[in-house]
Amino acid sequence: MADVGGDMAEKELEKPTYGFWIWAMASVILRLFFIFYFPENFKLSSRPEVSTPLTSVRRLAEGYWLKQSSMSPYAGSMYHGSPLLLSVLGPLTSQWIEGQSSHHLCSLVFVFADILSALLLRAIGQKLQKTYSMNLKRLGVLRSSGDRGILPCGDIAALVYLWNPYTILSCVGLSTSPIENLAVIVSLYGAVTRRVPLAAFGLITATHLSLYPASLAIPLILLLGYGLDAHPLKNFLHTRDRGVETGSTSDVSKQDKLTRTTQLPFLWRTVLHFVFWVLVLSICVLVLCSLSLKQYGGLEEMFKRTYSFILNIEDLSPNIGVFWYFFAEAFESSRNYLLIVFNLYILLTSLPPLAFRFKHRPCFLAFAYLVMSSIIKSYPSGGDAALYLSLWALFVNELSDMNNLFFILCGHIGVSLLSPVVHNIWIWRGTGNANFYYGNAMGYVCFQFMFVEESVNAMLDHDKALEKATGKMTKN
Amino acid sequence: MATEKRDKEEEEVKTDDGSLKIKPRPIVQLGIFLVAHSPVFSVVFSAAGVLALLILPLLAKNTYISENALMPGSARSMLSNRDVSDGSKLVKDIKNYRLNHEGQGVEVQKLIGKYMSEMGAEVYYQKFHPEGNQFHPLHFFSGPDSYTLLDNVSCASYGVNVAGIIRAPRGDGKESIVLVTPYDFINGGDYEALSLGITGTLFSLLARVTWLSKDIIWLVADSRYGDYRPVAAWLTEYHSPSFKDSDLLKCGELNTADKFRRAGTMAAALVLKVDGRSERFEDTLSIYAEASNGQMPNLDLINVVNYLAVHRQGFYVKVEKVVSLLSSSWLKIIGEIFEAVGKLAHTLNPDWNFGIPTADYLEGSATLASSLYSQALGIPTGPHGAFRDYQVDAITLKVSPRFPPDSKTRQHDFFLRGAKLLEGTIRSVNNLLEKFHQSFFLYLLTSPSKFISVGVYMIAFALLVASLPMVAASLYIDGCKALNNSTLNPAGNFKSWKWLDAAKQVFALHLFGLIVTLLPYFICQVPGQHSPSNRSIMWGTTSSSLLLITFATIPGCSPFSSRRHGTNWAVLKSVTISAAFIGLCLMSIINFATAEIGALLLVPTCLIVQPIKPALRSRRIKSLLGAFCSMVLLTIGFPVMLFAISKGLFGEGLVGLSLGGEFWTWLESLWAWKSATYLYIGMVHLPCWLLCLCILFHPS
Repeated sequence: MADVGGDMAEKELEKPTYGFWIWAMASVILRLFFIFYFPENFKLSSRPEVSTPLTSVRRLAEGYWLKQSSMSPYAGSMYHGSPLLLSVLGPLTSQWIEGQSSHHLCSLVFVFADILSALLLRAIGQKLQKTYSMNLKRLGVLRSSGDRGILPCGDIAALVYLWNPYTILSCVGLSTSPIENLAVIVSLYGAVTRRVPLAAFGLITATHLSLYPASLAIPLILLLGYGLDAHPLKNFLHTRDRGVETGSTSDVSKQDKLTRTTQLPFLWRTVLHFVFWVLVLSICVLVLCSLSLKQYGGLEEMFKRTYSFILNIEDLSPNIGVFWYFFAEAFESSRNYLLIVFNLYILLTSLPPLAFRFKHRPCFLAFAYLVMSSIIKSYPSGGDAALYLSLWALFVNELSDMNNLFFILCGHIGVSLLSPVVHNIWIWRGTGNANFYYGNAMGYVCFQFMFVEESVNAMLDHDKALEKATGKMTKN
Repeated sequence: MATEKRDKEEEEVKTDDGSLKIKPRPIVQLGIFLVAHSPVFSVVFSAAGVLALLILPLLAKNTYISENALMPGSARSMLSNRDVSDGSKLVKDIKNYRLNHEGQGVEVQKLIGKYMSEMGAEVYYQKFHPEGNQFHPLHFFSGPDSYTLLDNVSCASYGVNVAGIIRAPRGDGKESIVLVTPYDFINGGDYEALSLGITGTLFSLLARVTWLSKDIIWLVADSRYGDYRPVAAWLTEYHSPSFKDSDLLKCGELNTADKFRRAGTMAAALVLKVDGRSERFEDTLSIYAEASNGQMPNLDLINVVNYLAVHRQGFYVKVEKVVSLLSSSWLKIIGEIFEAVGKLAHTLNPDWNFGIPTADYLEGSATLASSLYSQALGIPTGPHGAFRDYQVDAITLKVSPRFPPDSKTRQHDFFLRGAKLLEGTIRSVNNLLEKFHQSFFLYLLTSPSKFISVGVYMIAFALLVASLPMVAASLYIDGCKALNNSTLNPAGNFKSWKWLDAAKQVFALHLFGLIVTLLPYFICQVPGQHSPSNRSIMWGTTSSSLLLITFATIPGCSPFSSRRHGTNWAVLKSVTISAAFIGLCLMSIINFATAEIGALLLVPTCLIVQPIKPALRSRRIKSLLGAFCSMVLLTIGFPVMLFAISKGLFGEGLVGLSLGGEFWTWLESLWAWKSATYLYIGMVHLPCWLLCLCILFHPS
């Protein structure tokens, strides 16, 4: 069922815009319904697919309780999140709406975060769509601005985000991933709209909350330096040549404009501005953290309990990733070596090659990074999938020729439904074992990998096709 | 899934074939070959799947005891005549009391309790409330629910269990073995009292032996409200104590507050029942093992009981079978064919010994059918099912003596042998160091001493569903080609989105299936007393109106919509088949037997169905035959129809108007027992059936 909801929404979008608001409202109502009427014994918040040691609100409530009784929130290896999030969300976990016994206020915050993320995604999408059609027009591929071929990718992405079962489950199931996702989307929004402080704020918050979004610094810098997603520079040069050949006056003025855009190589000033803000904000965050943890060991304790917990893969309880099983089996003596290998593997194999290949498409690069980090994260959850699936929907226009999409969708649905079944067989019925669940996790990773691989291929093909089209035009 | 992956990979290569002349890898070539000839291969694979199912009785292996620690029958029995006379006295006391007194009290329970405490056991009583049917549609995915106390408990109806615990002299009180004897304290017959006698005899022995290292719990369950409920209530209390005082505790003269005792984790549980007179010369022992959702206890437990019963105590051991199959002529013919083939193979190569006599084959198939049926239904076949929810291996032993219940002389011998059997089993379980894990959990029985393991029976299912992804891939390619030819897509480049309309339709109908599955919950909330047939009518009308609304609101969803909205039927069929494939594979992991039976119905329907209009227009015999077949399969495939047919097959006769009511009652039993089969029917079978119907009436 993973993405079909999103697909339904996508189809609806061909109608006038108020359709978006209806569907968005409906998704909010669905969330509220689930929050207040979901059967208690389903225990969504303790499912490994929904909440991880990092994102579980139950752990956060525990940490808050420890802090209230003037102990370190990290005592007893229960809480591993940010101390600032604890100060913000913690009071909400202890506030009970009368008659209700669970953390409903927190859930309402998450619903709000989801709505905000969706609206920001929509804004990003509108911006991307505008540049996309403008670029196509400049290249001469697209003649009229009212071409039906371009889908409103902002609306689609927002609705995919709102209606994605993963998003709904992590929103309802008391996990902090809606907030982490919001931080990532804020940073992208800031970079797309060139609000440098906002971008830096989003990046720092996201990194502070879950560390892995730190890799987004590269796409953000590229985004601020080169501007929005466009085609490789060569295409622009082609069109300029054509302008020179024909030599008409109107083309010359256009050519001037083009030269200006293409010859803007890299906006060093904006990037430096960004780096400055990142430094300022990270110092702010560190100071705040050390203030809030003054009695309990300070920053050192925080680094040990959060980032080192993430990188050292200390919690080996089952999740939908692939590391827990591996490190449960690995010998203690080789553990450090393996940790270094795995963490470097992420750094070296996925980040630089993609960055070189997609430096002209920073938003897409951000999407690819998010999928890669979701694949090789130490504690992944459904919330990560929610984020990258909606970012993927921003590129429906470019990725319309993606291969094997149906197969990947079927695989995702199958694996997502299989996961609770296998978990049940292992934990409750005792007829299965850990290998079943781990096998399912491997399947999930494979499908995620196929998904990003096919998307990258489709994007490269798209660029190639455009090149060909413009090439033909110049010949003619 | 692997097949599907291969097929899709192939599809990608095929589209690239024109431009890039890369020779695909061999596995991809195989995929291309399979997809290109998918009609032939789908027929071959489906036929092979059915054949593999029929062959299963030939492939059954003899059971063997896998866990070395069990060592059944290695120790000499220590039962003495004194123990037997203790047991006989208990039965006599109960009978005398029952003769002289009538009525509701708890005196019989107290009598048993007195007997237990005389033996030196800790005794306590537990009151429970007979719960009504409750709808737990998603219970499968959650653990055993914590016992929710009903607020308005009336003292009018409640049952009282008695339990006694013998503390093991060599144990640390952390492990236990449970003996359960269901007994109806009000109306229990003479045969039922015999089960108390056997366990009483055994209890008298166990109270004085020195080798026990696990505590023994003897639970006499008050079976006034069925066998299952009291055991389940006791188990919930045992595993999840409630800290709220229930009103129930104060009912009646017996105060049971704060008396519940425990004895650690349960290693195994044996439920003993005595009923009816054996039809054979020997005493008969029937073993029941199926718990909810087709879960089985570890095979070792059955092996131990079977070994001791056959080789030590001389019982005739049997498991349930479908009796009507024994006399079916078609199965007999198949059996004869297999026998002949087996003989032929044996003459060709003396090492090939897979042939078995026809009679054995018939026997094996009848047992296998019963095993499949009770697993597929997902309803436990006895009180042992309650234990499986807590991962405790348990079986029900139903003993039928060959003498009438009042024969005193035979009774002594019967008690001795029954108690010896239980003693041997308990001694084996007592030896265990870990919980049962060595032998199989997933198996089907073809006789008490023969089984088919998961690795073998999965082949039949895998062959049956293997054709689905193949056909889906080939239809997908065809459908995409057809769409490319027929329509000029305005977007121009949305090649990979062709399936979106079809996916929308499939999703809508699956959502509809989910709502229909959940509807009975709301229908049960409707105030007032309604007969089952009224409820089924309510259910039927609401679901069909919902279906109409679905068809009306979502364009392109209805089979009767105009051609412009309609999707290409080949793509629709491809998506339907993919959905069916995912559903069946999921179900095969939850409950294999349901998936196997479901696949036997769903796979041919999905494969054969085609739009009927072109077939009628063309008037060719082949297409008309295809249309006729799909009509027949679709008629059979409707769940209510299927229910009626299976009733007819089992010789209960078609029931006409009351069919709806009976169907409702049957489904109610499914969800009351938390069977995942109910979910399968509502969320996989029904939507796929509807989609096939849509394809049949597709306006192309």
